Amino acid sequence: MNSMQTAAPAPAGRSMQWRSLEFVLGALLSGVMLTLVLTSVWIFPDRGSLMDLAARLSQPFAHWDHVLGTDPLGRDVLARVLVGGRISLMVGFVSVLGASVLGIAIGLVAGYYRGFWDMLLMRCVDVQLALPFILVALTFISILGGGLGNIILFMVVSQWVQYARLVRGMVLSVREREFVQAARAFGVRDLAMLRHHILPNVLGPVIILMTLNVANNILLESSLTFLGLGVDPLIPSWGGMLADGRTYMQTAWWVSVFPGVAIMLTVLGLNLLGDWLRDRIDPTVKL
Amino acid sequence: MKLKSFFAATTVVLASLVSPATQASGTLNVALHQDPGNWDPIATFLVSWGAVGSQVFDGLLMRTPDMKLVPGLATKWEFLEKNTKLRFTLRPNVKFHNGEPLDAEAVKFTFDRLLGEEGKKGPQQSNYNAIEKVVVVNPGTVDFLLKSPDPVLLTKLAGYGAMIVPPKYIKEKGSQYFGMNPVGTGPFKFTDYKPKVSLSLERNGAYWGGAPKLDQLVYRFISEPATQAAELQAGRLDVANQIPLAMIETLKKDSKLTVVSMDGPVALALRYNTQRGIMKDREVRKALTMAVDRDAIIKSILLGNAKPIASFQGVLSFGNDPALKPLPFNPTLAKAMLKKAGVKPGAQIQLDFRGPDSNFREVAQAVAGYLQAVGITVSLKPYETNVLLNDIIPNGKTGEMWQNQWGGWTFDYDNTAYAMYYTKQRWNPYDDDAKLNALLHLQRNTWDQVSRKATLQQISRYVADQALEMPLYSLNTIYGLNKRAKNMALPADGRFRFVEATVD
Amino acid sequence: MGGFLIKRLLQAIFVVLVVTFLVSYAVRLSGDPAIMLSQGAGSVTEQDLQNIRKGLGLDRPFLVQYADFVRAMLVGDFGQSFLGGTPVARLIGDALPATLALASVSLLLSVLVSVPLGIQAAVNKGKRADQFIRIISLVGLSFPNFWLAIMLVLLLSITFPLLPPSGWDGPISLVMPALTMALILSATNVRLVRTAMLETLSAQYIMVARSKGLKERVVLYKHALRNCAIPLITYIGLQFGNLIGGLVVVEKVFNWPGLGTLAFDAIAGRDYPVLQGTVTVLSIIIVAVNLLVDIAYGLVDPRIRTK
Repeated sequence: MNSMQTAAPAPAGRSMQWRSLEFVLGALLSGVMLTLVLTSVWIFPDRGSLMDLAARLSQPFAHWDHVLGTDPLGRDVLARVLVGGRISLMVGFVSVLGASVLGIAIGLVAGYYRGFWDMLLMRCVDVQLALPFILVALTFISILGGGLGNIILFMVVSQWVQYARLVRGMVLSVREREFVQAARAFGVRDLAMLRHHILPNVLGPVIILMTLNVANNILLESSLTFLGLGVDPLIPSWGGMLADGRTYMQTAWWVSVFPGVAIMLTVLGLNLLGDWLRDRIDPTVKL
Repeated sequence: MKLKSFFAATTVVLASLVSPATQASGTLNVALHQDPGNWDPIATFLVSWGAVGSQVFDGLLMRTPDMKLVPGLATKWEFLEKNTKLRFTLRPNVKFHNGEPLDAEAVKFTFDRLLGEEGKKGPQQSNYNAIEKVVVVNPGTVDFLLKSPDPVLLTKLAGYGAMIVPPKYIKEKGSQYFGMNPVGTGPFKFTDYKPKVSLSLERNGAYWGGAPKLDQLVYRFISEPATQAAELQAGRLDVANQIPLAMIETLKKDSKLTVVSMDGPVALALRYNTQRGIMKDREVRKALTMAVDRDAIIKSILLGNAKPIASFQGVLSFGNDPALKPLPFNPTLAKAMLKKAGVKPGAQIQLDFRGPDSNFREVAQAVAGYLQAVGITVSLKPYETNVLLNDIIPNGKTGEMWQNQWGGWTFDYDNTAYAMYYTKQRWNPYDDDAKLNALLHLQRNTWDQVSRKATLQQISRYVADQALEMPLYSLNTIYGLNKRAKNMALPADGRFRFVEATVD
Repeated sequence: MGGFLIKRLLQAIFVVLVVTFLVSYAVRLSGDPAIMLSQGAGSVTEQDLQNIRKGLGLDRPFLVQYADFVRAMLVGDFGQSFLGGTPVARLIGDALPATLALASVSLLLSVLVSVPLGIQAAVNKGKRADQFIRIISLVGLSFPNFWLAIMLVLLLSITFPLLPPSGWDGPISLVMPALTMALILSATNVRLVRTAMLETLSAQYIMVARSKGLKERVVLYKHALRNCAIPLITYIGLQFGNLIGGLVVVEKVFNWPGLGTLAFDAIAGRDYPVLQGTVTVLSIIIVAVNLLVDIAYGLVDPRIRTK
């Protein structure tokens, strides 16, 4: 049925390997990070909250007690990095899930049906896009207060727009293609149309956007903490640790480097997986 | 090693290209964390105004870096007619930067303006309400008629609102223009102002106190403490007024820099919400205080840049009683007291604090850790400063305790205590104690400094006894300096006056 | 085309109004400018605060305040900052060039870097170069902008005193902030260009062009690039709002005297006129850019323009 989409010729040798390597590396990194993070509460029952002012800022790789050193309050960095992953990953995944579901639904409707709904959506989109995110975050959070739920809610509310706009654009170009028009002529109903013909074609870029945004949102959480808002500082989060470790960069680099490494590994893993997924779904679909 | 010397050479070449021309001798570069936006003395109360204002303006009295009041534009003063009249003799032959003479008319104009319509729009006026009006006796003498006693009046006359301004200049150009192009009698003259970026001053060769040694002062507005520190390290700044505590050691290690730390006016405490849950019990409140090792916090987190306090005022404050000791750190006793009071392990309390304050973030977490050790679970809630100060505290929406911070610039406990403990004051949403109110009134309405001191000390003992708060520490005033700046006479209240300062 | 333009223009104006209304309303929901201005004042009574509020015009109902603001804005009067009475127009006028300079240099730098890299990656799909470029771009996505900024300052200002750590003292001050922003932007752009190139490279008309014997370079840049234009333009348009958002944090670290810092301080200090003015200007810019993107979209792909 998909005659318009030219399947990429099965590439020989190297690229095939790369694709598998991508998957292996991506799955490995994400899998390891995820496992470590999820089991962290068993490995470290005190959740990295044990403070020891006498042992503050001790060097990494020096004692078995504190393999990655301690932070300004004497808490174990390794424990905090692993436990902190929970918050950061939760912020990342939940917000992206919420935003994408909302955005895809709205984008599909707007792109397919056009007309009044499309215009309304696009005005909403424009208004949202015209508000610089950080400023909205600051205003929002100063009214509602910080905290995990509000931050996730806020990210969903400000990011569904990206998906809606992307999906709408994709739907617009796909729906003009011959095979869609042919199907319509055949009388295929709208819902089926959306599900079988249009949705698969827009999923690829959306998934990539999602994987990019998970990473982005983890970083965004750190920016919000940097600006003084965000979650309870007693609850470890990668972003919070990065922000708090800022003034210690010259004296105790490990306080911010290790959470940074954790972020990077996780993000790298997620993106590799996303790439592989996209390749599997349809290698010729443009982002 | 060759690579290193190559880099060094490149660095020198590039550095000379990068350094702005203001590094020329005789120029001092100062960082301020905030731009008050208006240089009119009656328009603001921000500390950063004082860092500039005290260079451009003078008051009738002035305060030295060791907090002593000395003659300024007035050479002597005396109380007359049972303390209802305050007479000032003005210093002769003083001129404003624009040539106007400093005389009794100028003083009268200044205070008429402060107490009148113009002053009404600003936050300074309410400090000077004890003054009925100002009367010119002769060009060199002026009388202040007072309508109520104000024991802190003399100190306040060394404050922002009372700095003397030029009548003719303001009448001609208007207050708006004056706010952007200030003219005073001080050691430095205004030259240029780029809002939110920089402000430049040049020396006033005709200054009555002797011409300053510096040619030029350049202020740069840098709100991030870490950025101020970076600029110090890059050699582009000589004075930084806000550096992160964590970087003090790093800066000290830099051979061209030094860090100055002195007793300051800022006091910090955790104020208790005496209306909520377990906090209603005085013994519980005392136990909470004893559970926290405040000395360890000062030593480890603040790196010794603070002093322990027993009441909500600094070491230098008038009304401070050195004999009053803080509750000791005794977690065992605290646990027992909590048990006796019926508090179950795992009891939850909430601590509200200023989110953007990165130093206090650590202190708050440390406090939480100590309370955890005696079985109290603490949740920390960061708030935007403005919201905390304007909405949460005054409207009584706080958790069980909150970060209470006060910069008592008058260095007099009255200013603090009244606002903190008198019923229905903005900073006191929960406590209503008639006995305390009476004491506060007592010390306000008398000129007798000796009995005032006794009363103030009584107040602080009473508050400590009632355990209305956990006094934490009095924060030092800390400056980062480039060693090339000499004779700085740095004050604890941030009001710079660089008359004697020089640069190498 | 004309009708399309007018319609979009009206919509743009509507959007700006909605944005300013929302922000003006939201910021008044909490905090009090009068308190900010009297911080530290010994015993400020409620009467004092009322006086201050009256002086600032805050005792009037919100809609009146907002209507006043819009009316004044139409004649170019953005009011005066609560903090000191500096005319807001002057503050914005000083800050706007700073932000625009930073934004455009960052964007330019990012495009210059990501287009060639993206094309290279696409052309060498599966091979070493491709892998390398993709990994680098992923790493670039993993750092928070303020962290990157601080690292750069640490490296290029303190360890090797080459660049000024903050402020805008001349073109050399642009280097680090623009580099920070560009590095982060490029990470996404490279992948975008790559994916777009991949699709077009395998499309049939490219093969036709190749079989015609046209030079590889011509094929690449003329035909393929034009097809990349759509997603790239859309994404840059989309990115502009995010760009401004990211700028706030970067501006703060580098003490860059731009609109981001201005707005951020205004929120914290509840300086309503400055905030309203800044948000208005920022949203006008973003909306204008989006409008241009839409027009370009319409030009490039005529099918979209209908209806």
